[in-house]
Amino acid sequence: MDADVGIVGAGAAGGVLALELARRGIRVVVLESGPRHDFGRRREYVRRYLHHEDPWQTTPRELDRQGVSGAVPYRLERKRARGIGGSTLHWEGYALRLHASDFRLRSQHGIADDWPISYDDLEADYGAAEQALGVAGVDDDTFASPRTAAYPLPPFPFSYTDGLFLPACAGLGVPVHHLPQARNSVPYGGRPRCSACATCHVCPTGAKASIDLTHIPQAERTGRVQVQPEATVLRLETDDAGRVSAALYAQRDRVERRLRARVFVLAAGAVENARLLLLSASRGFPTGLANRSGLVGKFFMSHASVEVTGRAREKVYPYRIGFSTAMSRRFAVERDRNRQGAFMLEFMNSAGPTPDRLALTSRLWGEALRAHVREEFGRWLGIRVYAEQLPERENAVTLSPRVRDYFERPAPHIHYSLGRYERDALDEAKTLAGKILAGAGCRDIRASSVSFAGHQIGTHRMGTDPRTSVVDVNLRTHDVRNLYLMGSGCFVTASASPPTLTIVALAIRTARQIAAAAGR
Amino acid sequence: MLTRRGLLHRLLLVFGFEPVPRWNRTGRLADVAAQSVHADTRAPASPLARSEVDDLVAFGEILAAGAPVGPHARDLLAEHIAHQVARWPSEVLVPYRTTVRLLERLGGARFATLAPLERSALVTRFRLGSAATLPDEDLGPFPDDASLVRTRVVPDLIAGYYASPAGWAVVGYDVFPGRCGDLARYTGPGA
Repeated sequence: MDADVGIVGAGAAGGVLALELARRGIRVVVLESGPRHDFGRRREYVRRYLHHEDPWQTTPRELDRQGVSGAVPYRLERKRARGIGGSTLHWEGYALRLHASDFRLRSQHGIADDWPISYDDLEADYGAAEQALGVAGVDDDTFASPRTAAYPLPPFPFSYTDGLFLPACAGLGVPVHHLPQARNSVPYGGRPRCSACATCHVCPTGAKASIDLTHIPQAERTGRVQVQPEATVLRLETDDAGRVSAALYAQRDRVERRLRARVFVLAAGAVENARLLLLSASRGFPTGLANRSGLVGKFFMSHASVEVTGRAREKVYPYRIGFSTAMSRRFAVERDRNRQGAFMLEFMNSAGPTPDRLALTSRLWGEALRAHVREEFGRWLGIRVYAEQLPERENAVTLSPRVRDYFERPAPHIHYSLGRYERDALDEAKTLAGKILAGAGCRDIRASSVSFAGHQIGTHRMGTDPRTSVVDVNLRTHDVRNLYLMGSGCFVTASASPPTLTIVALAIRTARQIAAAAGR
Repeated sequence: MLTRRGLLHRLLLVFGFEPVPRWNRTGRLADVAAQSVHADTRAPASPLARSEVDDLVAFGEILAAGAPVGPHARDLLAEHIAHQVARWPSEVLVPYRTTVRLLERLGGARFATLAPLERSALVTRFRLGSAATLPDEDLGPFPDDASLVRTRVVPDLIAGYYASPAGWAVVGYDVFPGRCGDLARYTGPGA
């Protein structure tokens, strides 16, 4: 055996799991499709980001090919990152717990399905996840479920623009609370305090938590974790007993190699996890590995998002930090979700065009251009909406019959659309956001077209019934006893909140289960 | 093959010196990150001649500001051009060189050698400041070159300028995205 546990993916799920297992004396090999992004190159990444390039773009680009269909094409470009750290390399850093009702949509609202675990089952692990990432917050969200531990870091204060929203929100009965963030409001975990570089997608200081900083180095220092970057797993092989015996992987040279381990964990994201299972079909698993339910790849979800902006009476000084500091979750929780879709409001600290965008859209040049940019910049307030999406079997990840990736494997194909639940929620949210902006004195209020957060959810849902789920409450597949699936692919429903903190909490929980099964 | 620049770099290292990267000296994003972040880039050796860069910078400052800008802002434009050439050589070299050639043919002399008012007049006369072209528009004596310059180079130089610290300075931001500073600043008004 090369390892006790072989993990595919070094992001929020795989990186956390590797460290947790290593702390329990378990030998781990992590295969990561992307590179080890040298932190010393962040300045160059910042430059590219400011020129609207994607510094995290996959190389070779053919690794990220995909097919799309459905009413709303869901494209993965810029919605995930490959590399040691995974999508935490470029995430916003918003670290919210799901609400207790998010786990109970069927029993409380008669829609979708319940999770096989409850908020209470996960509460302590949420606390551990907040400690591990270093979450800054304060318990002022009256719509949050009860917590037993305080946030490890003090909150980021409300911004100047938050202050412009507050009176309007109060007048409309919209409570505003601090947005919990996995970034340092004070030095924490050997990382510095945030210094407002306003380029959080490529945080140049390490103040924002990302798994390449918070977990992978510590895991490697234990001496029990070996991380192999730029190693793409092509498929899993099974033995006669129906257990995974090896992960077949290749690097850019396309030479196939094998990793043998007692236990395997897929932690490559909801899309790649499903794809890898489908690619691993064999005589014993003709429809794909761990797919006797036929549900691998099904129930794909994300968060539909809209930005509503309005022109303020005066300059509002945007782009001084790269993250938002205020939110409202009232409409994600306090409602009959059978009739009204859940959504969350994020009060943006940076809305409206940047100077270069203003310049390019003006069609002016010379002194007239300069005067235009100076006059027009900084006049926009914005509210971003994230709407919950319900699980629909038709929204699914399958193998593309036509598109192939760098290794000549079928690329993922995502069929995707939005239903009445999501569209009605977005319409309601747009109307509400417009009222808030009008109350803040804005005019020329407009909503963007629908886009999607970089959250891929569903595709291998958890449950107690092998006929209606892919993994059990411990995230072990029903069909293959030494195979675990991790990440937001396990979620039964999407909530309106970002998934990362729940991914980390589930990884901490599953580490205990895997270690216990191994007698550690 | 080791370039002269690379050889010099190695010799300095051998004798215990770490040369300050030109990228830093020019100030481009020199303050991008906290001091704990290592400098990691060097301005690449450009296939463009110095005179070509000078002409492009002179064109860029007329486009972006209507008049010559300060040395720091000029450095930022030069750096933008150098990095575009380094990252996308097959896409930008021809348009950049076409620009230099077109400006010289239209102005009768290298663009950077013209007086500022002459540069502005040239851009005005041949409508070179407009990135868009109309289907029936008279693009002047060299229509293909003019079209390429207007659709490719004009937006590139304007964006390069306004995405740089010089562009943020236009809107009053001395501290701008990419330059780290005082965290508490965002809680109050002011640039």
